[in-house]
Amino acid sequence: MALWVAVDIGGTFTDLLAYDPERGTMVQAKSPTTPRYLSDALFHCLEKLDVPPAAIALLVHGTTIAINTAIEHTGARTTLVVTAGTRDIYAIGRGNRPEAYHLFFRRPEPLVPRHRTVEVRERMLATGEAWIPLEPQAVTEAVNAVTATHPEAVAVALLHAWANPQHEVMLGEALKAALGPDCFVSLSHRILRQYGEYERISTTVLNAYVGPRVRTYLVQLSERLRDAGMPGPLLIMQSNGGVMTPEAAIERPVMLMESGPVGGIIASAEVGRTLGFSQLIAFDMGGTTAKASLIQDGQPTMTSGYYIGGYASGHPAMVPVVEVVEVGAGGGSIAWIDEVGALKVGPQSAGADPGPIAYGRGGQKPTITDANVALGRIGAESFLGGEMPLDAQAAQAGIAAAVARPLGLHWVEAAQAIVAIAVHTMSLAVRQVSVERGHDPREYALLASGGAGPLHALAVARELSIPTVIVPRFPGHFSAFGMLWADHQHDFVRTYYRRWEDLDLQAVWETLRSMVAEAQAHLHLEDVAERVVSRWALDMRYVGQEFTLAVPVSDAQLRSGDRAAIRDAFDALHERHYSHHAPDEPVEVVNLRATIIGLRPKPPRPRWVATESPRATRRLVYLFGHEPVSCPVWWRDSLPSGFRVEGPAVIEEYASTTLLFPQDVAEVAQTGELIIAVGGTTADAP
Amino acid sequence: MRLDPVTLEVVRNALPAICNEMSLDLQRTSYNMMIYEVRDYCCALLSPQGELWSQNVGGVSHFVADLGVVIRDGVARYGSNGFQPGDVIIHNHPATAGQHLNNVVIYTPYFHAGKLEAFAAVRAHWIDVGGVSTGFGAGRVADPWQEGLQLDQLKIYEAGVPNAVLLKVIRDNIRFPESSLGDMRSQIAACHLAQRRLEELFQKYGSETLHVAIQRIFADSEHKARAVVAAIPDGVYEAESFFDHDGVTDDPVPIRVRVEVSGTDMTIDFSGCSGERRGAINSRTYAGAMVAYKAITAPLEAVNEGSFRALRVILPEGNIMMARYPAPMAAWSAILPTVVDTVLLALAPALPHAIPAGHLGVLGGSIVFFGTDPKSGRPFVVQSIEGGGWGGRPHEDGPSASVSVCQGDVRNAPIEAIEIKCPVVVLQRAFRPDSGGAGRWRGGLGLEVRVQNLVEGRWNLNQTGRRKLPPWGLFGGQPGLPSDNRLRLCGQSESQSVDVVRHWVPAHSEAIICTAGGGGWGDPLDREPERVWADVRDGLVTVEAARRDYGVVLRPEGGIDAEATQALRAQLRQVSRRSG
Repeated sequence: MALWVAVDIGGTFTDLLAYDPERGTMVQAKSPTTPRYLSDALFHCLEKLDVPPAAIALLVHGTTIAINTAIEHTGARTTLVVTAGTRDIYAIGRGNRPEAYHLFFRRPEPLVPRHRTVEVRERMLATGEAWIPLEPQAVTEAVNAVTATHPEAVAVALLHAWANPQHEVMLGEALKAALGPDCFVSLSHRILRQYGEYERISTTVLNAYVGPRVRTYLVQLSERLRDAGMPGPLLIMQSNGGVMTPEAAIERPVMLMESGPVGGIIASAEVGRTLGFSQLIAFDMGGTTAKASLIQDGQPTMTSGYYIGGYASGHPAMVPVVEVVEVGAGGGSIAWIDEVGALKVGPQSAGADPGPIAYGRGGQKPTITDANVALGRIGAESFLGGEMPLDAQAAQAGIAAAVARPLGLHWVEAAQAIVAIAVHTMSLAVRQVSVERGHDPREYALLASGGAGPLHALAVARELSIPTVIVPRFPGHFSAFGMLWADHQHDFVRTYYRRWEDLDLQAVWETLRSMVAEAQAHLHLEDVAERVVSRWALDMRYVGQEFTLAVPVSDAQLRSGDRAAIRDAFDALHERHYSHHAPDEPVEVVNLRATIIGLRPKPPRPRWVATESPRATRRLVYLFGHEPVSCPVWWRDSLPSGFRVEGPAVIEEYASTTLLFPQDVAEVAQTGELIIAVGGTTADAP
Repeated sequence: MRLDPVTLEVVRNALPAICNEMSLDLQRTSYNMMIYEVRDYCCALLSPQGELWSQNVGGVSHFVADLGVVIRDGVARYGSNGFQPGDVIIHNHPATAGQHLNNVVIYTPYFHAGKLEAFAAVRAHWIDVGGVSTGFGAGRVADPWQEGLQLDQLKIYEAGVPNAVLLKVIRDNIRFPESSLGDMRSQIAACHLAQRRLEELFQKYGSETLHVAIQRIFADSEHKARAVVAAIPDGVYEAESFFDHDGVTDDPVPIRVRVEVSGTDMTIDFSGCSGERRGAINSRTYAGAMVAYKAITAPLEAVNEGSFRALRVILPEGNIMMARYPAPMAAWSAILPTVVDTVLLALAPALPHAIPAGHLGVLGGSIVFFGTDPKSGRPFVVQSIEGGGWGGRPHEDGPSASVSVCQGDVRNAPIEAIEIKCPVVVLQRAFRPDSGGAGRWRGGLGLEVRVQNLVEGRWNLNQTGRRKLPPWGLFGGQPGLPSDNRLRLCGQSESQSVDVVRHWVPAHSEAIICTAGGGGWGDPLDREPERVWADVRDGLVTVEAARRDYGVVLRPEGGIDAEATQALRAQLRQVSRRSG
């Protein structure tokens, strides 16, 4: 037995999937996360499934340790080293107040205080020329000043290190020699070779700040797995949708920030690929939020950075991350009436404890889950395969008291309104990644995951005229599932500011290749992957603009100097994003982007075998209007491939429920997914 | 008709979402930093009657709800039947728009089923509109003709056909036509985007439902604002401040505010403020009252026509903020942050736990240096807006280095972004120690930014107008350190305080831009000595200031000398009682 195992350690639960590629079988386990010793929950899951570590041929791991360390401010005692005159840049930031009218708006709380910020006498220019060279005495003074702060981690971020990293390299060597191997040293140019000093400082500080904790965790986890007899390698999931080795993760832990959630997007792309859908919108709805992400031509959409803790008061982390739009609508989101009598849903959540009223654990406020239970859309007796009976009466009474009575509605109308408002909020997230980026949802399929995703997917699809909904297998464990299919991926960006007319494509080609060679010199992807490939892009803009668009370019275009094709691709991309372009305006290149991908062998997809002959019960479900409809309720594990279910119908499985409206038709694919043709139009939406 | 709660919420969310999408596209495609960094723009949807349906979040706040007057003027000019699909109107005329000419409004009509239902509008700061200067605006001019092109409700596209003559007149009379016309293209695209989004909404819900929903949304905003005002004790509250000068004469510019609260109604009366001036700090704007009112009533809610229905603003014709054409308005918004702060100051006794001490009170420290790069032969402009200190708060210290209450999401220019494009070196961008006003809660710190120009060129280094009245303290707090602009010419050893525009300097000169610190809140002798020591350790407060302003004595090796502190504080309290 040689198993491929994926484990997603989240804030509340640890999800584990074990896949046997020879037999095509997959098993899953869930266990409460153990915050003190995170790996305990992993071993609990293995014990539940009776999987011996010696049987693990590969373990892929997604973890929230980096993001939690940053958000909870529990990182290392970090010292920051900067160019003379820039000591306060990290605290000043961009000086903006995104909450314009808020008299008590708060700036982001710096992770390094001013008295642990050390200035060094040196200065590079944007040309890469040393205006003030770094003298040995300045190095000594800086190292002494840093040592006096007794740091656990050091971030070095000098002005224009993106143009010439020499001074950072010199300081880095001196600091490592003085502070020893235990101190975690991060140099800004190793994280991000891109102009914009505040964002680069912040990203480097984040890396240093979470570094020691991530290092300790990964080293201990590797040792524990090895001691337990695991023969296979450990791989870590990154925010860009790729995996990396623990050694690479320890150097750039800032790449782990979104390590957990991206698995689901990789899984969506993989499921779409095998089913022949390359244009997808991944839609995930869990207990507290819903997320949407666009997959185009089989590739998740990337963004060049984001703000940890939100744009207004968060810390910028300018590293490539899969683009996700998140809204505060999950099963646990609370419905409430505001001071002017308007019905609101979320963003407050009842969480897992006390949870929705229907859970009977003391929750008093009606949630989206309560609305679905009251309407019969979630089965009160069949929730979690019947392990956890729900109280539909209490959910109905709670909605009647908190929503229906104040608004003068029947309780059915109130419950339907709660669901409809949540569906609308989620539709806005789906719109944001599609319509607002110039992509027509009618050309996409919606892939629904998360415990509550399949329950609302058909309504969201109707709002946006999306013709197809796909419900994968294991929708409640989808993130872990995706990790098994991820490739190694490393993204590099380097500022390379040239007017288009002055640009030498041959030189661009050589620079990109040297970026790859430099990275490969310590990544050694050929040792861990089947095959190594690279992708390139140029960040371009019209002269005078600030924001750029990343234009993908091919080897052939660069080598043959096909300027016209690249220029046309930029104009077309601008047209798609913003509905206008200017083919006669001058353009410029700002950054070069290189992505190195180490392809991993893809296991065959698990086969789908129905466990028994198709079986259904019936129950009353409120869809539209006051009268309930008697709907068949199918047990998903009993439906063989090729089986068709026509709406209205409910399809239940262990950790999720799919709801079909009239005219929706679901068919079970060869590999077990539900492929649903969305019937009707927006007007029929609940 | 009865409105269901779902439709109401959908419309309530959809209208701001349209404006925010317009805003994001404009920002990302614009050609000048006044839009992509300074966010000097607003995007809005309005009814043909000029009612504000919605406005984007995050642009500069002094554009709040001020496009109605432009739409009403346009409809009066062309008649409600005078528009057709494909029209694009351009307008910046100060007689109605009441701002500097750089703020160019582009708007388009939206028709549904053949009926004029709405206008989509984008006001954005063009980097050049002709006239004597470029960049932030013309500053010190005597009249609108010196300032640049005046465009008065002109159809730059009529039924989709561009007006080639008008476009050529504009192109030939501005310095950076590719930039400004690029921005115009982005503004038009944003309006067209709004039309497409409105069409989706009208198709889905129909005109009648939407109008009912919009009126309900207005009523809700009004109701929320009234509920906040109801909690303020009834009464008349007054405050006074002044601006140093108007740029032409040295006479101070008085700002006198009278706020009357009666039940759920608030009246803000500016009758006591200066009349219109010869200097270009005039405007026609209600923003000074509206920004303050919004900050108190609903700072995090979307803006619409209902947000200000319960507010009455008294601004007689001929007032500095209701100046008559052709009063010069090139620096139209200069006094607004101080006006807002003065309204807040008036309300402080009524809302002692909701009002911070005075903030920098001006539109930041502005960095403007321009010339031609001898290496490339191309013209360049260095531009950045630097934040200053905000006042101490009733429960915490004021933030440092932040833009004013009128600027919102305005961002400074990164040093590396400046130097990649322009031949200057930014030597320093750092806090000014001791600039935050002392208080139980300290004011935030101002900045000192030093820039060396590597080639010859021209500096704008005009003083802010709040040097004689620094950001004020509240409830016993001390004022912050005032702003200053200094210049050290190449070859000189010392810098000098200057007040110049378009001032030619040789290469390797150095400009020093210092922004003000915020005022302190509460008696500095009540500040915990540990906080004072933490500030000294961080270098934000000097050892001398700790002793002088806070009565905190520190040990030479660091840490608090508790006994000496207690004795000094007792002595200082006695002195202040005797003198106070």
